[in-house]
Formats: sequence, C-alpha cells, structure tokens
Amino acid sequence: MSIHVVKRDSLSFGKKVLIYLGAVATALILGGLLLLAMGVDPVAYYSRMFTMGMIGNKIAYKAAENYLKIFVPLVVTSVALSLAFKMRFWNIGGEGQFILGAVAAATVAFQLGPILPQPVTLLLMCLAGMLCAGLYGVMVAALKVKFGTSETLLTLMLNYVALYFITFLGETQAAWNFYLDEESVRPIFANFSKIVSFPSIPIGKFGLNVCVIFAVLIGILIYVYLKYTKQGYEIAVVGDSPGTAHYAGMKVNRIILRTVFLSACLIGLAAAFKVGTVGILSTTVTDDVGWTGIIVAWLAQLNTIAIFVISALIGVLQYGSTAAAATFAQVDSSFADMLQGAILFLVLAADFFIRFRVVFAKKGGVTNGNG
Amino acid sequence: MEMDKMGVVTTFLHNIVVYNIPLLYGTTGEIIVEKSGSLNLGVEGIMAVGAIFGYIVGCYANSLGVGILTSFVAGALCGLLFAMLTVSLQANQNITGLTLTTFGLGVYFFVGNGVKAVNWPAMADYANIKNGFADIALPGLSQIPLLGRGLFSHNILVYLGVVIALGMWWYLNRTQTGLRLRAVGENPAAADSVGINVKRYQYLHICLGCGIMGIGGYYMALNMSGSFNSSCWINGYGWIAVALVIFANWNPALAIVGTFVFGFFNTLRVSGSSLALAFPEGLGWLSSVPTQLYQALPFLITAVVLVISSIRKKKDGGQPASLGLNYFREER
Repeated sequence: MSIHVVKRDSLSFGKKVLIYLGAVATALILGGLLLLAMGVDPVAYYSRMFTMGMIGNKIAYKAAENYLKIFVPLVVTSVALSLAFKMRFWNIGGEGQFILGAVAAATVAFQLGPILPQPVTLLLMCLAGMLCAGLYGVMVAALKVKFGTSETLLTLMLNYVALYFITFLGETQAAWNFYLDEESVRPIFANFSKIVSFPSIPIGKFGLNVCVIFAVLIGILIYVYLKYTKQGYEIAVVGDSPGTAHYAGMKVNRIILRTVFLSACLIGLAAAFKVGTVGILSTTVTDDVGWTGIIVAWLAQLNTIAIFVISALIGVLQYGSTAAAATFAQVDSSFADMLQGAILFLVLAADFFIRFRVVFAKKGGVTNGNG
Repeated sequence: MEMDKMGVVTTFLHNIVVYNIPLLYGTTGEIIVEKSGSLNLGVEGIMAVGAIFGYIVGCYANSLGVGILTSFVAGALCGLLFAMLTVSLQANQNITGLTLTTFGLGVYFFVGNGVKAVNWPAMADYANIKNGFADIALPGLSQIPLLGRGLFSHNILVYLGVVIALGMWWYLNRTQTGLRLRAVGENPAAADSVGINVKRYQYLHICLGCGIMGIGGYYMALNMSGSFNSSCWINGYGWIAVALVIFANWNPALAIVGTFVFGFFNTLRVSGSSLALAFPEGLGWLSSVPTQLYQALPFLITAVVLVISSIRKKKDGGQPASLGLNYFREER
C-alpha cells in the first residue's frame, strides 16, 4: 500500500463552503472546550461574543458605531492586499504603509485643516495618505522587478522602520513637532477631531460614518476592476504565470508596479479613513490591520465579496471578545487572537482536502493518479 | 567628578550580551528552519509560547533545566504545527507563519492574563531558578581587564546559546546530515531523487529550529526575573531575529557577530546616555541621537543588506534557493 496525493478537479462551490464552515465550526468547538475547562459556559460566552453585547443594551448603537470603526480600515486594507497577492506579490508591509498613510493624512489635517474648508481638507488627507503609502510600497516593487529583491522580507523590514518613525514623532517634544499636544507635559499626540473629521449620517440615534459608504464603494469598484477590466485581467494572468503574460506581450514589470502602487495607495486611504475618524495619531494606529488583513485576504481566497464577509466576521471576533470580557472577566480578550489563529490553521488544513485528493494504491498497482 | 569609566564600558559590553542573546537563539533556530527551505514568520509567536510555558512549568518544578526543556518542547510543538500545515498539507508558508505569530501571542496573553484566579509565581522566589541563572565567570578569560567581566562572566544560557550556534554551524557545514539538509533547502526535487527523505528532514529541522527559538523566549522571561505582567516579554525580538538571519547570511557562526552588532544598537538605546556621561568629549553626541533610531537600525541595516545583495546577485549567498516554496512531489 502506498499513499499518493493528487490534485483534484475543482469541487462545487457548495461543497467548498461546507468544508470551510466545518473548519470554522471545529475551531469554535475547540475554543468552547477550552472555555468549558475554565468553567465558563461556552454557549453563553459565544452568544455574548457574536452579538457583541448589543442585545439588551441601551446604547447598542454606540457598539455598532465602534464596531464599524474597526471594520472599515480592516476591510479596505484586506481588499488592497488582495490586489498584490493576486499577482503573488507578497506585500506584508501593510502595517508600514498604513502608518505612513496615517502620518501623511494627519500632517494635512494639522497644517491645512485650520485654513481650508472641511471637505477639501478631507480630500487632501486621503490623497496625501494614498501618495505616501503608495510610494512606500512601489519602492519595494521597483527593487523587486529591477533586482529581484525579496519583497516579503523587505516589506517586513520597512514595517518596523515606519513603526519607529511614528514612535519618534510621538515621543519627541520639540518646537517643530506639531503632532504633539502642546499643553501636555508628557509627550502625547494632539487631537485634531475639532479641526476636521469625517461626518456621520444620522439614522435615528445611530450615526453612519461616511467612510463605511466609501469602503463599500471601494469594494464594488475593485470587484469590477478585477473582473471586468483589461487591467484586472492582466493581474490574473501575471499571477497565474508571468511567463505566459510575457509571451502574450504584456509588460509584466509595469503591471506589477502599477498594481502594487494601487494596493499600497488603498492601504494609505484606509489609514486616512482611520485617522480622519478617530481624529488622533497613535503608535498603535494600525490596530494590526496590516497583519490581520493578510489573514483575511487569504481566508477569503482573494475574493472581494468574501473579503467583506470575512472582515465583518473577524471584526465581530475582535470587538465581541472585548465586549464579552466585560461579562466574563476570567476570559481575556486575547481569546479572539487564539480563535482567529485556530480558525485559520483549520481552514489551511481544510484547503488541502479541497485542492488535493488522497489516493491509496497497492504497491506496484497501476494508477495514473486521476482515478 | 571622578567616574569609573572602565566600569561603564564593561557594563555596556556586559549588557550587550545579557539582553541580546535571545536574538541569537531566535536567529539560530530560524536559520535551521530556513535551511530546510521553509520561511517561518512565526518566530515572535513561537518565542512567546516558549516564554510563557517555560516560565510557568519551570517555576512550579523549581528547576531551570525543566524550564529550558519545556520551552524547547513548546517551541518544537509550534514547529510541528507549522510543518504539518506547510510540508504535509501544502499550506502557504507566509500565511502559516504569520498566523503562528498571532496565535502564539494569543496563547501567551490568554494564559498569562486569562487565568486570573492564580497568582503567577515570581521567578526570583525560586532558589534553583535564580541560582541556576546566576553569572558564571569563566576562569582565566574573565580576568582580562575591561573585556573580561563584560564578555566572559555570564549566565549558563548565554554560553548554551553560543554553543548551540557554533554547533549548528559545524552541523550544517561539516556533517553529512547537515549537508543533506542544505541540499533539501536548495533543491528538494534533486535531494529527493538521490534518496534523501525530504519530508523527514523538513519535519525534524523545523521542529528543532522552533525548539531553539522557544528557549530564546524563555531566556527573555528569565531576564525579567519577576512575575508575568501584561506587557509582552518578547517585544519584537522575534522579528529582529528574522532580520538577523539575513544579516548573518544564513550562517549560525556569523549570527553570533550579528547578535553583537544588533545588540550594540539595542544597548546604545538603553545606556547610550551613560556612555555620553562617562566620555563627554568623545561620545557626548550620543545623548542627542533619538532612541527610536537605534530601534529602527536593525531593520534599516537589514533592508540595505537585502537590497545590496540582490543588486550584486551573489552566487555564494547563504539564502537557500527554495526558500519559501513548498515541495510537492507529484509536481516534479
């Protein structure tokens, strides 16, 4: 007897979804067993987590608003990263690009906010964020196409360069440093939400931040871009086989540069949305979306619609675990990180059984692997 | 004002070693993993897992040896998970590694913060751990003026880290299995065709490397000597280790030098001002350098090394040719 692993033809969509749901359910059950071992009722905990503590809560609309504040940067970043991943360009520099985008947007807010009308400032904040993040990303792409520099490792390094840059801004008190609060003795970032911030559309008590609408629009545009435009098609071909793309007369390097620039620009835009909503910089401004976005994009298999669904779920996981920690004090909110990790591990494992088939063959027996 | 200038220098050297040896563990471990062809971005998470379990089990057993062993096993188990997913189940290495970081840090905080009914032990209260981690002066060498106490009077884990690094250098370059491992990382299909069991080599070395990272995590915990608190002991050292692998050109012996170089900047950040105070004419400018520059330097230097080595397209570079690519036998 020997065991063979062979690639399988594609499974039906329904079967795939079932397998993935099975993986997620397994992760939840494992988490539930852990909760049980700690003496916590898993059903009560999970229902608290998945409803984000909104049931029976008088200020549930506040919880919804805060949840969306987590959701918007995550979904835009994930969509952005999926563009680069489609070409197998491993942009793991989302954190760094987000930070530079945030600093650029805040710079515009501080410098131009007091003199320009609010909509103009907001527009300029977005553009500045996009440009800075985009250049930070495309710089790596240029080195990659010119010299073959490893983009995985280089973007990783640049994340930390950006992180210590924003830490420097946050900890250095000096006459030039307009990012800091002048009135504070200790260095803390200044709040600019009184100067400029993205408006909300009131729906009853609930305020729908315009960034949510922009995020949905971006999702639709990118979906159409990838599916129905020539450039989107080029990205798919380059991702499948750069050789084929080259043979077909596509300018592969130019496509890579263009797409990575677009990817990083969108991350900068996500950053502008974030700082334009919270109105303050912070060394943890990214909320780890550069990392989580990679996981989201991969879980969603780079499908734009799926990215929205998964981002929403991961957001629930993260926000819900904090909400549940208020009731279940013994369960730390880091439970969400563990659960998120377990879900992805199981999905990665399930992925194998979607892509491959395990064949048992007698030694010496004839098999061509396709059954 | 009379100052013990020599003392400042000696303390500075001593601190470079004491606070940065975890980097050596992380780097040596990651080199072993990468030599098998796997890029594991989970170093930070694996070190965190090694730290928390080594700390707890070590304290309850009141034994440094048990702590070290536990951290090794905890790290190796993370490696096993990574190997199962990437080697057997063909999952993407970048994604698996990054998830391992999220998961490992999650485990670290969940265990540390989560079990609130328990009062975590303070490492300093356990005589065997405290004494086991005490400095041991190497006879002769530690008597050298200026350098002696700085470089040759350290705790047992410092020596162990250096021995492991040198041992791994010897293993990779001078033994048959080591050479075969490198063949697996360079070209798994070719290694497979001459009868090397590629999967077994990858599994074993990923677990071994991750176990070494786990010990590095435990070292960071021991250095804090106190009890668990809610800030992370690992604090980015895992990522610096990933950078250091590149800086050391995938060579464990060079990793010792690299640890010293990166550790130098790290220590300048903490005690640059005491150097500036001791040598105001020569080094007074040190106090005006922003500390964040020192923190960014390891990453900046590595970025520059990456770019330069790719421009020169070094043929003798240490980077395994199949790094980051899964080997799927049926696709040869």
